[in-house]
Amino acid sequence: MEITQRASKDATVLDVKGDLTYSNRAALKTAVDQVKSRNCQHLIVNLEQVRFVDSSGLGLLVLMSQSFKLQHAQFSLLKPQSYVREIMSLANIQKMIPIYETEGDALTARAA
Amino acid sequence: MNFESTQSPVQSFDSLAPSCLMAATILLVEDEPVTRTSMAARLTRLGHRVLEAGNGREALEVAKRERPDLIIVDWMMPEMDGPTFCETVRRDPTMKSIHILLMTSHDQPAQIAEGLARGADDFLSKAASKQEISARVLAGLRTGRLVRELETTSSQLESSMLLLQIKQMEMEADLQSAAAFVHSLLPPPGSPAPGLSLAWEYQPALTLGGDLFGVASIDADHLGLYILDASGHGVAAAIRSASLMTFLRVENILHLVGTYDPEKVLLEANRRFPLSEEGEYFTLWVGQLHLPTRSLSYASAGHHGALISRTGRPSRWLTRPSSPLGFDQAAVFANDRIALQPTDRLFLLSDGIYEAASPTGEPWGRWRFQQAVEAQQHSPLITTISHCFMEARRWQGQSNFSDDAAVVGLELSV
Repeated sequence: MEITQRASKDATVLDVKGDLTYSNRAALKTAVDQVKSRNCQHLIVNLEQVRFVDSSGLGLLVLMSQSFKLQHAQFSLLKPQSYVREIMSLANIQKMIPIYETEGDALTARAA
Repeated sequence: MNFESTQSPVQSFDSLAPSCLMAATILLVEDEPVTRTSMAARLTRLGHRVLEAGNGREALEVAKRERPDLIIVDWMMPEMDGPTFCETVRRDPTMKSIHILLMTSHDQPAQIAEGLARGADDFLSKAASKQEISARVLAGLRTGRLVRELETTSSQLESSMLLLQIKQMEMEADLQSAAAFVHSLLPPPGSPAPGLSLAWEYQPALTLGGDLFGVASIDADHLGLYILDASGHGVAAAIRSASLMTFLRVENILHLVGTYDPEKVLLEANRRFPLSEEGEYFTLWVGQLHLPTRSLSYASAGHHGALISRTGRPSRWLTRPSSPLGFDQAAVFANDRIALQPTDRLFLLSDGIYEAASPTGEPWGRWRFQQAVEAQQHSPLITTISHCFMEARRWQGQSNFSDDAAVVGLELSV
């Protein structure tokens, strides 16, 4: 899994590439913890290049969104691929984590 | 401060030598007394403790007793010559790594080759200058010390490896015992109630599995069934799963909830099993079959592995979007109902089987599982289940699953 961090207006974006599974979730956790420790107010995890998320990966995303909520910060997901979208939809993830189709939408939603 | 020496090279070499390297014990083996005394004096001046022997046999006794750091041995000696002495030392496990310098009057290539082949580490010409002798002795001591350090490290590594292997064997035995216990909690295949037959196949990713299932009578008219899936795998997942399995025991649920009504069971489980600090959680599917009417009520907390396969009618997945346990404390879980018919088969399966990935990373998928089940509609239940495992293994191109794989089948007889 490759994770690239960049700034986008008021948000931090993590572009993730590869599968998000039990064996490599520590890498994403480390990257998110680093962003969170700098008091980031809006983190967008871009899943466009993520082909597969297993149950552990899903749990990690929910855990991270809960910890951002506790800090009154926003945690958003961007452009999940079809299989990942199906897994998320079956687990009602969209009820807990906002999922956006474009980065612009994610940024606007936070500003609104 | 300037440390540069102003002494001549010869003086500095002799005077610095003992401080560069700790004083060592050197065994000098030479039958000719004048040469031996002169060399011994030189080595003593270098700060070393010098032991002397007049021939090879005597030298072997001293070497065994004193374990010198370095041996300087003459080639030509009565009784046992230098090369034979070297061979003897090399054969002795307690002395084999002592550094040996072989002294010769001549330095012909053929002789040097023979000396090295028979166990000498280096050569020292009897005509060598004082500086050369000092340099070769120092080099020999340095090498000898490194060899001893390597031997110590290697022996420590071997002991550590042995200890690790023993620990690993103990741990594996513990895991096997825990796995046998968990296995004993799974429902026995056969007939859990009149008119029903049960079969299953289960392959944990490791010795201990985190995906478990249960089928048990609630009362004379009702059968309770569930499949749970712990996120992650390994020992931690297995322990968490065993605790949820204990919670789901019929008598416990009746005591805590008062009924095995699936939505109420999930509500209580959601309250008691929050998302762990590591983000681990469960998905759970619970069903209750009313035996007289064959009516199945069921509810799911994020578990999507329940399929009804029926003769002459389309298969149907018994699931809908729902939150896994612990994701949302306010979540509610609604029951669904289905009237089962004789010959209907209910399959409960873990995601370990339908997420089995092909070498290119594509999951096998629930759709292919359904096809595999439908293709074996008329085979005995256990054959159908085995067929699913075979197809999933073929898809992933390997026998072992990376996640726990379980398929449970329940068939209503005619």
